[in-house]
Parts: sequence; structure tokens; C-alpha cells
Amino acid sequence: MLDAILIFLGLALLFGLLLGYAAIRFKVEGNPLTDIINKELPQTQCGQCGFPGCKPYAEALANGESEVNLCVPGGHEVMIKISEITHREPVEMADSTPAPTERIVAIIDEDVCIGCVHCIKACPVDAIVGATKLMHTVITDECTGCDLCAPVCPVDCIDMIPIAQTLQTWGWKEPITQVEQTSATSQDNSSSSDKPS
Amino acid sequence: MKTQLIKWLTKIYPIAKRALKKFHGGVFPSYYKELSSRHTTLQTSLPKELILPLNQHIGAEDLPLVAMGDKVKKYQLIAAADLKNLHAPIHAPASGTITAIEYRQLPHTSGLTGLCIVITTDEQQVEQTNPLNFPAKKGDACQPNTPQALKDIVYQAGIVGMGGAGFPTFAKIPNVKGKIQTLIINGAECEPFITCDDVLMQQHASEVLSGAQIIAKALACPSIIAGIEDNKPLAIKAMKQAAHKFENIQIQPLLTIYPMGGEKQLIKELLNTEIPAGTHAIDSGILMMNVSTLRAIHQAINLGRPLISRLITVSGLGLDKPFNSEVLLGTPFEQLVEQAQPKSALNYPLIQGGPMMGFEVPNNQVPVIKTTNCILANPPQTTETTMPCIRCGECMDACPINLLPQQLYWYSRSHEFEKVEKLNLFDCIECGCCSFVCPSHIPLVQYYRFAKSEIKTAKIEQQKANLAQKRHENKLAREARLKAEKDARIKAKKEAIKQKALLKAANTDEDASAPTKIKKSPAVAAAEKAAAMRKKKLTQTSQYPIDTQTQTQTEEMSKKPALSAREKAIAAAKKRSTQTKSNVENSAEKRKRKAQTASNSPSVIETAEQKAIRRAAELAKNMKKKALAEKNRVEKQTNNAPEDHQLTTSQNTGTGTQDKSVIEKPIANKRAVAMQAAKERAAAMKAKKLAEALQTKNEKIE
Repeated sequence: MLDAILIFLGLALLFGLLLGYAAIRFKVEGNPLTDIINKELPQTQCGQCGFPGCKPYAEALANGESEVNLCVPGGHEVMIKISEITHREPVEMADSTPAPTERIVAIIDEDVCIGCVHCIKACPVDAIVGATKLMHTVITDECTGCDLCAPVCPVDCIDMIPIAQTLQTWGWKEPITQVEQTSATSQDNSSSSDKPS
Repeated sequence: MKTQLIKWLTKIYPIAKRALKKFHGGVFPSYYKELSSRHTTLQTSLPKELILPLNQHIGAEDLPLVAMGDKVKKYQLIAAADLKNLHAPIHAPASGTITAIEYRQLPHTSGLTGLCIVITTDEQQVEQTNPLNFPAKKGDACQPNTPQALKDIVYQAGIVGMGGAGFPTFAKIPNVKGKIQTLIINGAECEPFITCDDVLMQQHASEVLSGAQIIAKALACPSIIAGIEDNKPLAIKAMKQAAHKFENIQIQPLLTIYPMGGEKQLIKELLNTEIPAGTHAIDSGILMMNVSTLRAIHQAINLGRPLISRLITVSGLGLDKPFNSEVLLGTPFEQLVEQAQPKSALNYPLIQGGPMMGFEVPNNQVPVIKTTNCILANPPQTTETTMPCIRCGECMDACPINLLPQQLYWYSRSHEFEKVEKLNLFDCIECGCCSFVCPSHIPLVQYYRFAKSEIKTAKIEQQKANLAQKRHENKLAREARLKAEKDARIKAKKEAIKQKALLKAANTDEDASAPTKIKKSPAVAAAEKAAAMRKKKLTQTSQYPIDTQTQTQTEEMSKKPALSAREKAIAAAKKRSTQTKSNVENSAEKRKRKAQTASNSPSVIETAEQKAIRRAAELAKNMKKKALAEKNRVEKQTNNAPEDHQLTTSQNTGTGTQDKSVIEKPIANKRAVAMQAAKERAAAMKAKKLAEALQTKNEKIE
């Protein structure tokens, strides 16, 4: 009787120590949720959520310090994803206008630019090149379209324009057939039960 | 035996023919090949205007090398891109004037516009001599013997895969000899309506085989196999005849089944090897070329002509006289179709390619490009209404890649793209067999294309997001670094100013402390003398700490040498204070010995001894006192020396309090004592200030 108790006490102590050691030895730095949320965010670094960049917002979300509906460029889809990750109630987007489907980029009217470097300081991804009193220009491939540079321009020479579609960026549209649309609801009901695994 | 049985079976069950070939699936559409093949090839007239899109291939768009208004000769190079990017150059198909370089509708299903060079042709048709810049020596000198030489010529001639893919051929050719075991000539031409490859093989069989021979020689490829579907008996005959001239070429008739002309299907059929998913035929040592591509290679190497024209089929149920013709690139579709005498006005969109994989062009004025093999004019038929999927599994039986089209369809429809990708969506060749057999007429291929596009864009977006994140992090890191550097700079500057102020204060302090020395008793003066001796010794040992201390202010030091001596003295005093005890003992011992040698009588010795001890003790006490005072002052200075008179007063009070504490506490605790004293002093100062404030207050009140 006493033997058994001692053995189990000893075992409990051993495993407790092991667990305690493991908790210290294999401690995860930071909140792992942050990275998962950060991956879902669009990385425009636009700051429209009120945080300086996507990662700080992800951190705030992971710590439960922020609302899930603040990412404007991500829109409704990202909000749903975030609420799923954080197991929180999805909240309607504060800004009801849908996120633009087209990608936009900043373009500097180089004739008007006075070289004030305000936009260069504002750009979160260093996508603007130029120097003081010299013309600036946007590296289109690296512009996230965050619209942070346009308001700071003293001469309003920055425009946000949609990227023109090329053969490389063009993609097939989803086929829409009339019959399927009308029968979609009934079909969905039937398909939900016997969906292929 | 087996084949005969199957042939007999096909009479009652036509699909049984599928068992006659090696790859999975396949369909048997109505071919209508006789429409165009029964008519002789036509010579088309020179178009007034040639439209040459700058992107006729897979890869980057070319850049125009000509300007508006330039006169160009036939075969002249007019567009090319940077060699870093995958591309194929474009040559002028006819001589004339560049009348526009502008955005025009492309022969692409998207209906997008692209930059095009427009040539208005002239009557003279001046040809450029030696457009591919061959060396002057003609003949065998131009025959490429290495893969690189072959690649160079093929690149310069602007040759792309002319079966429909448009992949630049030079990029397809491997860099090393002997990598390719088999060269396959693709003459299957499995799409309905199209007969241009059939006609090409009938009329130019030797050119095709010569092109194949050149490649085989350059790549040291041992065997060449030509696969031709058995619905082209004339082509097979012509090719077999031409093949007699070459030793290692084998002509293989194939079962007529769609899609026999697919790369993986044809390889499976001819060599019974399957190309693993995600790899190319090249990786398995097989190179496949379309007959038109081979002819273009022959023309480039043997005739020195770049790719400027191709054989195309103009056919369709809406035309009276369908035909095949050698057409200059850039010829508008409508002009060709008009020549084939349409049955009714062309108020419906034309189709580029065959009915299975082709697409409707957005505008009938679009030009023929390097990949155009067929223009179809099929009047629009009443489209079958799409019905819900009944899960019959016909599509699965028809799929030549052995995929699960029905599963792909469900997941594509519900936008579960990860699952679609897992079902090997990207192995789908979009042949359209599944849509063809679907009893519900579901446009399955369109769903797969949609899913592919979505997955590709999602991947690009992800890449862009990662890049943006990285750049943002870099920016933050840079900003942090710059801030740290700025802070450090400011701190250093502050420190320098502080030091300067300190030195100034110390300078004035020395002047102030000079008169206090005079007040000291002669005994103290004597002790100081002795101490100075030791100081000298100690400064040598304590050279290093002084150096580090003074390193930052060497400039000021050089300006004021008197100060450096003073600094040294301070450091020495510090050092000495820790060693005072031992020093005192040492000096006591010395004096003892001295006394012993001075007198021989014991009583005298005794008194001398006592005297010496007393003197030593006295000396030690004085030294302690002095060291403490010194140390105190040093500490004061580091605590940002206040104004002169304040310093001296506090020093006086300091020494006063210290006198007591020194007697009470051991030397080892000196630091703590000094700290304590400083605290006390600070408290006293505070109290004094408070008292003063109170006093002034009271006075005010009064």
C-alpha cells in the first residue's frame, strides 16, 4: 500500500519536474497566434487599422486587444478568417464599402513633384525612390497601394491608379450557367449530404 | 487476337476502341477533316496591313526595335526583348512602312489589347539579305554541331512551339549533348477540322525530316520517331517516302483518338513511358516537336529564314471553300475567312484553334500569330442547357490524364482550391474530353481554368504580401538603427560637454584648494612629502587606469598639461587609499628596523620603538584623513561639480563628518561610508534648503 503510494508520488514528482523543465526549455517565444494572423493579413502596411503596420495589428489581435473588423484592404474575407483564428464573434466591417477588387498602385506625376521626400518617409515598404529636391518615383512592383503617400504630398502629385490587366495577370472567370443558378439552391442541399470525401 | 476482338466489339460499342491505345481515356469527336483537306492549298494575296502583336509566345513581351514611319525589309528583325527574359524575337513578314505601334485587340480569349507593330506593305517586297547574320561561308558552316549553336539560331529565327503552346523553342532545347534519347515528331494533329499539319507533311515531308535531322545531330540524339494518326494516310505515305533518305527515322501510324497529339499522351503511346507529374518530357530524355516547328527550324538553318509565315487551316461549317494556306504572320482573320467564301455574313465570332481546345476571338480583325494553326468559322449552334451533374462518371473514363474531373468540378465550384490542387489540377491539359462527354453539358474545363487562374493569382498575391512584409520589416529595422545611432551621437556629445564642464570646474577647484594646503600643520606637510614619494611609485603602476580615464579627453589634456598631472594625482590617491593600511604597516616596520640599527641599548631600543610606532600611527592617521578628503573630492567632481564656493563648503563639511566615520569604520568599507556620507550630505543640504525656504516664507508672511 505504502509502496504504491510512494511509487506514484515519485512518478508524479518526476513527471512534474519533466513537464516543468519542458515548459521552460521549449517555451514558445511570443504569441504563436500572431504569425498565423499576420499571414492572413494583406501586408499592405497601410495603417488603416490604427496600428503601424500589419504585424502590430496581428499582435493586438492575438492578445485580444483589438477588434477583428479593422483591416480595410482585407475586407470581409479577412475579418472572417481572423474571427475564426481568434475564436471570436465576427463583427461587420465598420466601413461598409467593399474592398476594391482591383489592385491599385501609387503613381507620381513627375513633372509636378518637388522632391520634398514626404512620401518617401510615409511609404511603409520603401517603394518610393528619390532624394531631396530631386524627382521621386514609385516602384510599381513593390507598391502595396496603401494610400499613405498621397495625403502627405504637399503638391498633390500622387494618384492611386488601378493596375492595367495584361496577358500575364489575366485569369479565367468563373463560369455562370443559368440552369445551375436556378437549381443551385436545391443542388446545394442535395450535395451537402453526399459531398465526395 | 485481342485487337481483332476489340475491333469486332466496336461495331456494337464504339467506345471500346479506347482499349486499342495505351493511354487512359480519350474521345472520338466528328473530325470534318475532309472539309479543308479536299481543297488544294491556296496562295493568299499579300495583305495591305500586317498586325504583329509583341507577345506571340509564352514569356515576356518584346520591345519594338523600329519606330513609326520606318521602312522595313522582309525578314528584318523588328522586336526583341532583354535576353534575361524568356521571349522570341519577331521579324517583319513583308517589306513596308511601320504605320503604327499601338494597342490592338489580341487573338486571345481575354479580349485584352496588346502592343502591336503595324506594317503597311509595299509592292516591291525588298528582302533583307542574310537576316540571321550567318557567317559569310555558306553550306555546312551553318549546320549547328553543338546544342548551343542550334539554340542560338533557333532563338534568332524567333521560333516558338507552333503546335499551339507558343513556348520559345530555344528554351526547350537542352544545353548538353546526349541528354535526349528520343526525338518525337508530333504529326498526330488530333483536333477536328485542322489539316494544316497533314498538308505540311504531304507537301514538305523532307523539310520536316531535315529539321528533325538537324536537331538530332546537334543533340546527338540516336532515334527519331514520327507519330501520325491513321486518318492521314497521304501524310504517312509521304513521310515514309521521305524517311528513306534518312537512316534513323521511324514513321509510326497511330490510332485516331482525341487527344493523341497531347505531349504526354503521344509519349505514352509511342514509348510506353509516362512523364511524372511536375516534370517535363526533357527530364525523361524525350524531346517533342511539332512538324511545323521542325519545318521552321529547317528553314532557319538551311535557308537562313526567320519565322515569318506558317501553314494554317481556314475551315468550318460556315464556309463554302475551306482551305489550307501558307499565311504571313499578322494577316487579319477576316481577310482569310472572306477568301474561303462564307455561306452567310460573318456576324459571329471566329474560333482560333480547333473546336475542342480553341477559343472564340473577341474581334474578327485579330491577326494570325505564330501559334495560330486554324481559323474556324462555325455558325453558333443552339447551346445545350447545362443540367446538374448526375455523377455518371463519364468524365472520369474520358480523362486522358487519369484525373477525377467530377471531384475537381465540385471543389472548383465551391472554391475549395486547396483540395483541387491536391487532386492534381495542374496536371490537367484542358483538352476538353470531360466537357465533351458530359451528358449534363457542364463546362467542366472552364471550371478548371477558373480554379487554375485563382490559385495562380493567390500565389502571386502571397508572394507580393511576403515581399511587402519583408520590406516593411527592413524599413522598421533601418529606422530603429538610425534612431539608435542618433541617440548614441547625442549621448556622446552630451558626455563631451559634461567632461568639459567638469574639467573647468576642477581647474577652478584646484586654485581654490591651494590656500588650504598652507593651513596644514608641518607634520602633515612632512607626511605629504613621504606620500609624494610613494605617489611617484604608484603612478607608474596605475598608468593604465589613468589612460583609460583620460583617453576621452586627450585633446583637453594636451591643451592643459597641468591638469593631467592633477588627474594622475587623483588616480594615485584613489589607488593609495586602498593600500594605505599595508603601507602604514610597511613604514612602521621600516622605522622599527631603523631604530634597531640606530641604538644598541634595549631601553633605548624600546623607547625608539615606541616612538616609531607612535609616529607611524600618527602618520597613518594623517594619511587616512588626506586620502579620504581626496577621494571625497573626486566623487564630488563626478557628481557634476556645482559652483566653486558650494564645492568648497561641502568639502569642508565632508571632511568634518568623515573624521568621525574614519575612526569608527574599517578602511574596507570606505566606499560604503563615502556613499553614506554623500547621502547624509544630500539630506543635510535638503534640510538646509527647506529651512531656508521656510525662513524666507516666514519672512514673507511677516
